[in-house]
Amino acid sequence: MIERVLRLEDICLKLGDFHLRDIRLHVEPGTYLALLGSTGTGKTVLLETIAGVHTPNSGRIYIRGEDATRLAPEKRRLGIVYQDYALFPHLTVFDNIAFGLKLKGSPGRDIKKAVGGMAAFLEIEPLLERRPGRLSGGERQRVALARALVMEPYVLLLDEPLSALDRATRSRIKRELKRVHKELGVTIIHITHDVSEAFLLSDRLAVMKDGRILQEGAPDEMCRRPGSRSVAELTGIENLIEARVEKGRLVTSMGYADLRQPAAGMDDPPGRVYLTLPGWSIELFPAGSAREYIWQGTLTISDIRPGSGTGIVALTLRHEGGERLKTYLSRRELQAFSASLEPGMRVPVGLLAEGAYCVPHEAPR
Amino acid sequence: MKSFKIVISTLGGLLVLIIVAPLLRVLLAAAPSLLRTTVGDPEVISSILLTLRAALWATLSCIFLGVPLAYGLARWDFPGKTIVQGLIDLPVMIPHTAAGIALLMVYGREFLIGKMFAAVGITFAGTVAGISLAMAFVSLPFLVNAARDGFLAVDPRLERVARTLGASPWQTFFKVSLPLSWRSILSGAIMMWARGIAEFGAVVMLTYHPMVAPILIWERFENYGLKYAVPVTSILILLCLTIFSVLRWLATQKRDD
Repeated sequence: MIERVLRLEDICLKLGDFHLRDIRLHVEPGTYLALLGSTGTGKTVLLETIAGVHTPNSGRIYIRGEDATRLAPEKRRLGIVYQDYALFPHLTVFDNIAFGLKLKGSPGRDIKKAVGGMAAFLEIEPLLERRPGRLSGGERQRVALARALVMEPYVLLLDEPLSALDRATRSRIKRELKRVHKELGVTIIHITHDVSEAFLLSDRLAVMKDGRILQEGAPDEMCRRPGSRSVAELTGIENLIEARVEKGRLVTSMGYADLRQPAAGMDDPPGRVYLTLPGWSIELFPAGSAREYIWQGTLTISDIRPGSGTGIVALTLRHEGGERLKTYLSRRELQAFSASLEPGMRVPVGLLAEGAYCVPHEAPR
Repeated sequence: MKSFKIVISTLGGLLVLIIVAPLLRVLLAAAPSLLRTTVGDPEVISSILLTLRAALWATLSCIFLGVPLAYGLARWDFPGKTIVQGLIDLPVMIPHTAAGIALLMVYGREFLIGKMFAAVGITFAGTVAGISLAMAFVSLPFLVNAARDGFLAVDPRLERVARTLGASPWQTFFKVSLPLSWRSILSGAIMMWARGIAEFGAVVMLTYHPMVAPILIWERFENYGLKYAVPVTSILILLCLTIFSVLRWLATQKRDD
């Protein structure tokens, strides 16, 4: 059996007005776990609790099978990289990276070798003699990563590491993080409020809200089968249609829909549910067999909005009953239609069964 | 905008003038011959040296005790924190003669704590220790508050990162918190030293002899008149200005970050 590198068992913590509640999380070695949630939801507090900055009121933290609940941060061997990098401003880049090694009493030659190696890996060798104040955001980020990684932590904790960076640097650091994860095999917990960041980088995803972890799993699975409305919203599913279940069918303001997948909230008719539809499950001019769709009909295009430089166009479709759906098309897909699409135009639409899923009306507590 | 600048500059300039005018007047008023004699007067020299030394002892002792207090106030929440904060500021607010009386009633030979210190050979009435104690009492808020502000300016996350990199709380304090706040601490220490040197009220209650410079000035003024008080005053002002300008310059040197 693989020993989990980190195990959180029913962690509760009250910090001022803020609560972490019943946090349960198992992280296996080599995992890249994204902790997704909006601002103020407790992600950083959870990360700092894992790091040992806060001691939970109840529950247990296990690091590589050892109970570390009350272990001092310096004995946990976990690296942390904060949003604003928290580099020591009074030390050079070299001394920042060497900070932990010097404390450990490593010989000078070993320190030089380790710092040099990590600096080469992260391509920051020319910066070693500089002070953090003279570095760009991306450079600081890499220095902070190097400082944590050189200590070979069991888990690398990243607190919104990309949010303070410009778009180009963000893309570069994303690639860097992927490379770090792949080549060093380090276990990473990355907290973010950015869905695309979470999906791009992680192989596991945990969604957090109001101090709780709502759901944890593989990103794709979370998107296909969100456990609640909050998870659906936080994982970026734009279309949530209120529905009720009647005799195994869904009744929505758009009419009946034949849901084929078993779903939460479906077992107990006439349950009130939300039908979740990711943008890709809305097909214009449906050409597949009827079985592929849970609903087909005609909708009016109410808005067409080009994305900035992405070549993706956002389409808002409106049903006469008032329901609005959002989908995305590439410019190429758009041009492939025989007629040119414009607002006010009525178009045939199919909702793909593959993407449709039902979640309970209220999130389970 | 122009009129705004004129009003602001005039008002600010007036205040600067209020400070500078008397100092300049004193410096220029001393008769050169009397100034020369005073510089060579062993009583004046020993009094000034005593003042500087006693204030330095007061400052160093308060760095030892005050910096930990400042760190605690900056980093931790505890019951009664506001009261402690208020107590720190209290010596600035009460009349310093009253502070002197209060000190005398605790550290005087007839009182309990005074007796305890006397038992180990330390007395405060009429000694350098008494002068330092009086100076420390009235000037410690400058050091503690500056040090607390210095620690508050250090991002706690720097300390947290240091801990995750293997630093104990002590190592974190000495390798991160202190190096990042030493300028504020030094600045507070300079202010405290300066305030200590200037102290008259509390010191005179506890220790009239040996005479610190402010008491010597007072004594010369009382016994010989303004003419003989001015040279001592000029020397003290010049000396303080020089020392504090150098220290201030050191404390405000920009770091390369």
